[in-house]
Amino acid sequence: MEIEVTQTGGVTLVVPKGDLDMGTADQMKRTLTELIEKGQSKLVMDLTDVAYVDSSGLGALVAAMKRARAVGGNLKLCGLQEDVRSIFEMTRLIKVMAVHSDRQEAVASW
Amino acid sequence: MRAETLVITSESRELARVRAWLGEQLARRGLDSHAQSALQVAVGELTTNSIKHAYEGRAGEPIHISVESREDSVVIQVEDFGKPFDPSRYRHPDLDEMNESGVGLYIVKRLADELTYDLARERGTRWTLVKYQAGTRPRSA
Repeated sequence: MEIEVTQTGGVTLVVPKGDLDMGTADQMKRTLTELIEKGQSKLVMDLTDVAYVDSSGLGALVAAMKRARAVGGNLKLCGLQEDVRSIFEMTRLIKVMAVHSDRQEAVASW
Repeated sequence: MRAETLVITSESRELARVRAWLGEQLARRGLDSHAQSALQVAVGELTTNSIKHAYEGRAGEPIHISVESREDSVVIQVEDFGKPFDPSRYRHPDLDEMNESGVGLYIVKRLADELTYDLARERGTRWTLVKYQAGTRPRSA
């Protein structure tokens, strides 16, 4: 999975491309953990180019969100495709994670 | 349309192949893109469970995935030959918690109209998932 990381103001923007499943969840978790450990805990992830997320992928995002919140940051999401959004709704993560419609809105929310 | 079977080995890189094959099978059987996507997630979760739990991460072990059309539904089976599923260990997840794991089977149950498992075999588990065509789901299902 390709994961692009850029800085905008004090916010770190993470843009993965591909499917977030058992095969890529560890890579995602590792990338987010490294960012948080470097002090980049204000995170926005744009999921526009992710068409598939399964429970392993959700687990990686939840773990990173908890880790970021523990140090005063957060992992905010945006750009969820309809089928991906339905998985977040089904597991009720849509209620506990900060989900925005697009990148600008998510970055501005910091 | 006759039943079709895909045989993969127990590695996570095979999951993309399962999704592509299943999408093609379901499109040929007339399912729309949302139903295809839902079943790709459900079958992905069952296949992941086979890799992680039935084979405990061992690569190279067989997993069979089959798709069959019935008059009112599509029936998908995922079969492994490893450690059998232990229903006594299944816990319905508390969705008020932020779960890092343990929601895979819950997702499958939500996406399928019917989900059963067969443990009465020499080894492993055969999962059977039924998805009815819109408007044909029996009241009891």
